[in-house]
Amino acid sequence: MSKLFLESSGALPIVSFALAFHSGSAHDPPGKEGLARITARMLRRGAEGLGAEAIEDAVDTFGAEFGADAIISATSVHFEVIRRNLDPFVDLVARLIGTPTFEEAELTRLVREAQSELVEARDSDRSLASRAFRRTLFAGHAYGRRTSGSIESLGSITRADVAAFYARHYTRANALVAVSGDIDRALAEAVTERLLARLPEGELIADPTPEPLAPKGRQLVFVDKPDRTQTQMCIGGIGAHAHDPDHYDLLVGNTVFGGTFTSRLMAEVRSKRGWSYGASSRAGFDRRREAFSMWTAPAATDAAACLALELELLQQIRAEGIREDELVFAKNYLSRSHAFEIDTARKRVHQPLDVALLDLPADYYSGYLRSVEHVTLAGANASLAKRLPEADLVVAVVGTHAEIGAAIEKAIPDLARVTVQPFDLE
Amino acid sequence: MTAIQHTGTIAFGPTMKVQSYALANGLRLLVEVDPSAPVVCLQTWVRVGSRFESEGKTGICHLFEHLMFGETEVSGPGVFDRSLEEAGAETNAATFLDWTYYHQNLPKDALELSIRLESERLTRLVLREPQVASEKEVVSNERRQRVDDDIDGFVSELLYKTAFEKHGYGIPTIGWMPDIQGFTPEDCVTFYKTYYAPNNVTLVVVGDVDPPALLGLVEKYYGALEASSIPPEVERPEPPQTVERKVSVEKPTETFKIAVGYKSPAFEHPDHSAMSVLSEILFGGRGSRVHRALVRTKEMASEVRGSVGSFKHPSLFDIWLSAREEHDADALLAALDEEIDRIVREPVTQAELEKAKARIELGTLQGLESVSGKAETIGLYDTVLGTPAALFDKLEEQRRVTIEDVHRVAKQYLRREARTIVEVAPSGEEEGDDEDGDEEEEAA
Repeated sequence: MSKLFLESSGALPIVSFALAFHSGSAHDPPGKEGLARITARMLRRGAEGLGAEAIEDAVDTFGAEFGADAIISATSVHFEVIRRNLDPFVDLVARLIGTPTFEEAELTRLVREAQSELVEARDSDRSLASRAFRRTLFAGHAYGRRTSGSIESLGSITRADVAAFYARHYTRANALVAVSGDIDRALAEAVTERLLARLPEGELIADPTPEPLAPKGRQLVFVDKPDRTQTQMCIGGIGAHAHDPDHYDLLVGNTVFGGTFTSRLMAEVRSKRGWSYGASSRAGFDRRREAFSMWTAPAATDAAACLALELELLQQIRAEGIREDELVFAKNYLSRSHAFEIDTARKRVHQPLDVALLDLPADYYSGYLRSVEHVTLAGANASLAKRLPEADLVVAVVGTHAEIGAAIEKAIPDLARVTVQPFDLE
Repeated sequence: MTAIQHTGTIAFGPTMKVQSYALANGLRLLVEVDPSAPVVCLQTWVRVGSRFESEGKTGICHLFEHLMFGETEVSGPGVFDRSLEEAGAETNAATFLDWTYYHQNLPKDALELSIRLESERLTRLVLREPQVASEKEVVSNERRQRVDDDIDGFVSELLYKTAFEKHGYGIPTIGWMPDIQGFTPEDCVTFYKTYYAPNNVTLVVVGDVDPPALLGLVEKYYGALEASSIPPEVERPEPPQTVERKVSVEKPTETFKIAVGYKSPAFEHPDHSAMSVLSEILFGGRGSRVHRALVRTKEMASEVRGSVGSFKHPSLFDIWLSAREEHDADALLAALDEEIDRIVREPVTQAELEKAKARIELGTLQGLESVSGKAETIGLYDTVLGTPAALFDKLEEQRRVTIEDVHRVAKQYLRREARTIVEVAPSGEEEGDDEDGDEEEEAA
């Protein structure tokens, strides 16, 4: 039986569902990148007795939303409906999940659509910087591949690929269900049974990805795009793991560094110098060790100086750590703002779902306040020195290379490797 | 001390209530008590937005919004953000055509701190050269990010500039770059003294509050503030548009884009509801007419969007289309026009009408999930339509929309002579453009 998480709330007459599977783009076979996402998107494009257009009409008529998508480590089918239409909508979703037809014509149409979206994504400089950063940092690893695939890999996906991915991963044993809103436990359990009734028992699918290894030395990847007045910049390396014993030490330390509006990065980059509208750092986590990254978007004329400053701030916090008053601030901020992590039924139900889906420590969220409270100055500083990357670093920049390329290179001490890539590389 | 007056109880949907209060100095307070979580959203809505600005001083509302997070006579630089973050609060602000609002999401026990700091900056802000200079740089970078290096933002700005020749809706909220960089502390002081006063402000509080305690705090921190004389708005009505306007630009992109703006009714106009339903039928989700025709069937577009402006004065029914690689702007516009012509020519079906209404209802409910969603709804509807629960009046109005209503507004508003088009071509695609790549024409 798939596990059910529930948060009932009668505040609004709507019910929300997330049906999640343990498998995502990390399970895409080599050369078939994008398969997990294409499989998810095919669910709304044909089910037993229903064509794609009939499905869209039905979803809208019920006053509902239906979405299905994949991330690296999971696939999520989420839907929401006005309470009075819950019963017929559940029947519809059960058909979509349990009896997809994966018609050839619909698949080729979706592939063309997804390929056009990849072309469109080249208009977003932030997205280009993110992709350059991840494909360089996680080169050769599933975390460096694109969940939406590439134009070439999408073109290679066949109906048989989609059907096989679906058969293996869309099973009861591989599924988790989170329900929130205007529904009680008895009804939520009954509805979950109906939703999953047509799925086979199957098996829990393991995550095939190894721990990523940091590429050695400092690398610059410059995405060259014409006419840029501004430079999207992402700097970082291999960072956090939710199972690290010092995970919360790093969380507190990063809060001081770049986790709030008054963090060191914001104070130095935005408040003192006005160089970037935003400046932040993030230590994300997944089933495997994820990236630590710093983000800024300075004017092209300030980009090299901003980069140099960020590297200096990184070096400083690793060497000197944070102060006692900063520790107190960060712990107060994290513990007092925690109320907003659980202020709606939807947020509350997604916490245990994430724990189960991403194999987080069982008390990752339930023990959050206690874990933050236990962080000491010595612990936070030791974690910052240990976990923040400095020698092995990737700097991803989107700008006009002829104008700022040389200055950017000069701003990075001990630079081992430079790659200049066209913005339409992928 | 000024006494706070209860001025009304307003039903906010079937189960909620908004209590309305006023101070003698003109400050209004709207409260919705929601004890479901120990959190509060406090928003300060100021009745000034970029439509009030004039050429040469564009962007002052938005720049000022940034400056409001600075030093006051009581609290030093950075104290506002730092002390609220330490209390667990999240702060932000937004400026648009008709309004500016300041937002705080806070744990319930930080309420007094939040109200004190909000009241301080309403009338006791310190505006000096270093802070103004630094914030001008931040806003310039925000403009580069949102407009100059962003095709979508650039096109939207150009669309409104071209569509509105007299009215302030033609002014970009973020301001033109030379104006942003030219502001002085004196400009900021003048603006502050003109528009920031209790009688130009509505406080919206939603969440787990004790009303008597809240009223005491509002009276304590706002009661002594003096009202000021807010100048009447200089009306700049937009003359009726009688000729289609078209502007073409080149950008470093691989695909053609077009934005189209049809002159559309003000938010308070009864036709706005029928236009909202029409917009939903044309652009609401994957089952909508334009998505189905251009993305699914003809495979000409990678993205299509459309929405009716919800503004104080008549604005635009604003459309955005992005072509797939092999299609140009003319082909895209022709395909859009087929759908526009069809909805003008033929009534929509009952099934389409019901789908659109169901989607609008779900969207309305989704916006009320959190305290901040409710506060924003109350503040927006109160500021633009004059009553905090107008969302539900609009929902009722939309439920009553008929097939005939949709057909009537389609014929009335979707007229080519009342539309403006911005076309984006990939750089180097077309020959014979002028030096800076911009070309403007008026076509009959």
